[in-house]
Amino acid sequence: MEVIPALRFDGVTFSYGAVAVLRGLSFSIAPGERVALLGKNGAGKSTVVRLITGLERPGEGTVWVGDWNTRDCVPEQLARRVGSVFQHADQQLFARTVREDVSFGPRALGVGEQEVERRTDRALADLDLTAHAGHHPYDLPPALRKLAALAGALALEPGLLVLDEPTIGLDRALRARVTRALLDRSAGDVALLVITHDLTFAAETLERGLVLDRGSLACDESLAGLLGDVTRLEPLGLAPPPVAALSVALDLPGRPVRAADAARALARVARGRPGP
Amino acid sequence: MKSLTLERVSFWYPATEAPALRDVSLEVVQGEVVALVGAVGAGASTVLLAAGDLAPRLTGGRIAGTVSRRDRSAIVLPTPWTQVSGMAFTVWDEVAFGPANLGWPTHEIARQVDRAMAHLELGPLATRDPATLSGGELQRVIIAATLAMDSGLVLFDEPAAELDAEGASALWRLIRLLAKEGKAVLLATSALDALPDVADRVVWLEDGAVRAVGTPDLLADVAACDAGLGTSVATVWGASGLPGPYPLTVAHAVRQWR
Amino acid sequence: MTGRRLHPFTLLAIAGALPALAWILPAPIGGACTAAVAFVLTLIPGARLTPGASPGFRGIGVSPGSRPGLVVFRTALLTAVPFWVFLRLLHDVPTTIAIGLRITTMVASFVWLAATLAPDRLVEATVARGWSVTAAYLFAATITAVPTLRDRARRIVEAQRCRGLSPRGSLGNRLRALRALALPLVLSALHDVDERALALETRGMVSGARRTPLAPPPDSAVERAARWALLAACVAALIWRFK
Repeated sequence: MEVIPALRFDGVTFSYGAVAVLRGLSFSIAPGERVALLGKNGAGKSTVVRLITGLERPGEGTVWVGDWNTRDCVPEQLARRVGSVFQHADQQLFARTVREDVSFGPRALGVGEQEVERRTDRALADLDLTAHAGHHPYDLPPALRKLAALAGALALEPGLLVLDEPTIGLDRALRARVTRALLDRSAGDVALLVITHDLTFAAETLERGLVLDRGSLACDESLAGLLGDVTRLEPLGLAPPPVAALSVALDLPGRPVRAADAARALARVARGRPGP
Repeated sequence: MKSLTLERVSFWYPATEAPALRDVSLEVVQGEVVALVGAVGAGASTVLLAAGDLAPRLTGGRIAGTVSRRDRSAIVLPTPWTQVSGMAFTVWDEVAFGPANLGWPTHEIARQVDRAMAHLELGPLATRDPATLSGGELQRVIIAATLAMDSGLVLFDEPAAELDAEGASALWRLIRLLAKEGKAVLLATSALDALPDVADRVVWLEDGAVRAVGTPDLLADVAACDAGLGTSVATVWGASGLPGPYPLTVAHAVRQWR
Repeated sequence: MTGRRLHPFTLLAIAGALPALAWILPAPIGGACTAAVAFVLTLIPGARLTPGASPGFRGIGVSPGSRPGLVVFRTALLTAVPFWVFLRLLHDVPTTIAIGLRITTMVASFVWLAATLAPDRLVEATVARGWSVTAAYLFAATITAVPTLRDRARRIVEAQRCRGLSPRGSLGNRLRALRALALPLVLSALHDVDERALALETRGMVSGARRTPLAPPPDSAVERAARWALLAACVAALIWRFK
């Protein structure tokens, strides 16, 4: 039996007024797949998110979320399948406590109270926010507010998570929290689509890269292959992240792009080398 | 020549018992780029507000110690949309807003604005309405607007946050250029991998206090890597179990590897 | 579209004189005439739809292709309607008409002003006179606040809908929806006000600053005379009314 993709774009074209933003975009994401959406500012990435969440409808072509055609859905319906976090999501928080805000989503979906509790607790724990659950969102520093907004999306327990620049303003420790939480969800077959210009975060968290260039797909392949290749990245306005660049420069076996893999490869090669 | 000196500065935000800054001393010399690094909440933004005479004057709260400035300062906040004037409907006017408020003659304003816009390559956007710009474009406009005020001390709080890779590289180049022009630059950033090429000195803040000061080589120290403040290359090197000193950048690593 | 734009002070004078006359002159004739004038004004806005056009247009939702005059007219009309409903609940028909027309004049004048007055020109005009820039800025900021809040409200609505919030359905549902929309709007707006005050200082907006006028709007003797004439008309009407 064929697995239905978590997300599929079928020849999608979209324009704001007379300006064409997306041209004939086609790709699909399987359940559990972790995909980075890359590209320069203005390439059309945020529009992709708006199309997935149902805030816009494609001019031509179809956007499928699972077996739902987004043309037939409104955003509040799609929330059952798509958890989204927009940029500056820290401005959407409104409840008196972080816990109340995170539980807003599952409650709006109408799952039972016990289920709401369970989903909320899990989302807070995943992001190490349990200690702040009783605080007022605006008492938290902006970085933690961003995490609270992400927890809100996780609590929906959707099949597809779409995140727009989730790591801006986060330090390394907080970025690692986000990586852990996302990897954990993906292991449970949740598909991820993350817009980011932080290629280090992409290397650590995601496995496949879609590069948008002026509204078309310039590239669709594994990140491991893409990130080490300067000749491919440069014309797309991207630069290899340091770990990938290190792997290439030292010719590490497997050309790892993740820090832990690179450290292991480095140790292995160093052990095998003759002394100085 | 010293542009900014903080001497044993401690600062408490209003209605908070725990100090945001504890006994911080640092100085920035004209022609130098000093970077503040630390975990979220370590106090880098607060140092910038104190350096820019915004804390406690506008934020409220209490300060101990002395802050002395030789030059006028200008600051780029991490939230460019709050710094937009709301009074300008073209990018050119937006960049001119600050200089006009300083009461300069119009020819001087035009000179500074054109120069700042050239630095940030904003020519194509000159007639656009700031309200229609993307986050990255707006950040560049605000940076230009700040530079147009021609202050001797320029403070940046996470200026590359909204920028893509090209925009960020251009920004780091610009910051080096500012230092070359004799300005004093104090910069808070989490873009550790860029610092070896950008900063002359690095100040490591932890829980509001200065933990260490040094050249960017500081970011390859064992202690920094353990605290999550090492460059990516140094961190990988350390995690591999190889002995120190850890290389700071890919180029250093290649040299060390041979 | 009119060629030359009116001076900001002239716009203020008109937007102030119409409601003043509406209340001074006897109802319902006074109210009817001034309301009519105000609505005619909305059909011929004095601003151009180019960079430099009033942000009021953006707040009111004018987009390329729509006819700005009609949009402003419609906005003024729709804003005034709730007042009429409210008045009718409280008063008999003649009183409703009397007060309603006066309020309508106020509403239409303000909407027209918001659509026509470019805040930057107001600040420039004020500065050119040598007056305090901060006062002008504060007034201008209230006009620009509308489109900003509107944009933010839209973004918050979208974010909450993507979390499953449905703005339709039962009354309980709608009230819950309102809270989820209003609270973040107010909270983030208040939070922003704090940051804005600080941020504006960083742009050199300090009290007592003598700002350089970049492009002072031209004023003419005719407009100055017209402004004084409007003031004189209001005073005369006042005297005549209470003689």
